[in-house]
Amino acid sequence: MNEVLLRSENLARAFGGLQAVAGVSLSLYAGQVTALVGPNGAGKTTTFNLITGNLRADSGTAQIRGRPIMGLKPWQVARLGVARSFQDLRLFTHMTVRENVFAATETASWFWQPGGSRARLRRQERAEAALEATGLAALADARAVDLAYAERKFLSMARILAAEADIWLLDEPASGLDLASRLRFGELLKNAQARGVAICLIEHNLDVVVELSNRIAFLDQGRVLAEGDPGTILKDPALAAIYFGDRPQEAA
Amino acid sequence: MIAYAANLATLVAIFGILAATLNFVVGFAGIFSVAHAVFFGLGAYAGAQVALLLVPDALLACLVAAIVAGGLSLCLALPALRVRGEYFVAASLGLQMMATTLFSEAKPLTGGIGGLVAIPRPTVAGIEVNVLPLALVALALILFLTARLQRGAFGRSLQSIRDAESAAEALGKNVAAVKTLAVAFACAGAGIGGALFALHLSFVNVESFTMDQSVLVMAMVIIGGTGTLWGPLLGAILLLSLPAGLAFLPFIPPTEVGAVQQIIYGLAMTLLMIFRPAGLVGDLSKGRATA
Repeated sequence: MNEVLLRSENLARAFGGLQAVAGVSLSLYAGQVTALVGPNGAGKTTTFNLITGNLRADSGTAQIRGRPIMGLKPWQVARLGVARSFQDLRLFTHMTVRENVFAATETASWFWQPGGSRARLRRQERAEAALEATGLAALADARAVDLAYAERKFLSMARILAAEADIWLLDEPASGLDLASRLRFGELLKNAQARGVAICLIEHNLDVVVELSNRIAFLDQGRVLAEGDPGTILKDPALAAIYFGDRPQEAA
Repeated sequence: MIAYAANLATLVAIFGILAATLNFVVGFAGIFSVAHAVFFGLGAYAGAQVALLLVPDALLACLVAAIVAGGLSLCLALPALRVRGEYFVAASLGLQMMATTLFSEAKPLTGGIGGLVAIPRPTVAGIEVNVLPLALVALALILFLTARLQRGAFGRSLQSIRDAESAAEALGKNVAAVKTLAVAFACAGAGIGGALFALHLSFVNVESFTMDQSVLVMAMVIIGGTGTLWGPLLGAILLLSLPAGLAFLPFIPPTEVGAVQQIIYGLAMTLLMIFRPAGLVGDLSKGRATA
């Protein structure tokens, strides 16, 4: 098995009386795509938010290459090599496509970035490579707000590529994409996998899950009910019943 | 007449500095502060005290004013920066109200309501100088620095935070540090404007650092165009020239100039928000609803 880049153990978080995540343990392996699958409200995005520090966990731990990350702020987790996308994309709407991607390479908080012109050139190369890889080079000077939906999706991926993170958390990255765009997106993921990136994606389209993922973690009511290869998990009739809303009635 | 024009030009340059620095936080960082006059005031008092107690050296006064205003902005803004959007507006409003009271009450530092009087004429290297050339140089310097920062990595960080704070943070940007630096830079600039204001008038009191002044500077930024380089300066020129222009119109009685001015301000702001929501210099497509 490949190296574990990110591991969470028993992550839990409640909102008032609602236990959104109830002990999620998850491992992300270098060069593998893990799909988080489950019905709405299963706790998938909350799990991402707990790992990235956007939410504080009530209990549980998470490590990146063995280094504990609980209590770190989102920007600190990001600097350890975690990049994420959001369901609502959260692009820098009034900046150009190129600026969006270039901004992803500049993490220093000071008035200038360290490393001088050589480092700047290297950042520019990273940004241009990300634009090429996502097919956005021709639109580099357009404002993000003026892009079509699929292009916006690819811009959020271009930012992640340019950030050079080795752990990707992608929240419904393929939703709303047509077949051609989905194939391009699949290529991006395969290239990243080949470079050893550990990818976790939340996805509702099971065709996309089968197409792209090596492993599935099936979440329901804040727990990982099953974990394994897509063929096995998706053929499980009990899980299918939960996913499609035909939940078996519990005994009174 | 020349003295009148020189006075107006000096005030335009000083308020141009204020508007440009406020624009840096409002236009580029999306931090809506209605307390910019506080830091203008801190700089004015600091600069005045340097001139009164030490030497009336303009450069020293500006340096001390920048350090005091920029430094105190860190202490005062850090807790406030933890809140977002409209909550920051409320927090800065509270700061403005608190500061106005402190300026009125801290007599040993500010002279209280009566203010600080008889501030000596400024000098540079021991030679007495007018404030106008100093204010123009300071304005040019601040516009240059603002443009450099805006076009560089820091500007991109600020704009990314303005557009999507959580996404910027998810890309490794320390949002609090970037915002704090932006506020400190802008407030240090406002402090320099304050020192020049005190040296220009030879007198300062709390009346110049109230909520009205903060709103006036905000209006300059909005009318000129938030997030643009030249817009705030244009806003400063327009809003400071308007009362002067009205005073020359023979059919407006001098006692009514103030009321007419307020009506024109209100009308201009309303028309601007309808027809040019991004300001006079701003990109017309910005601020409009997009599909």
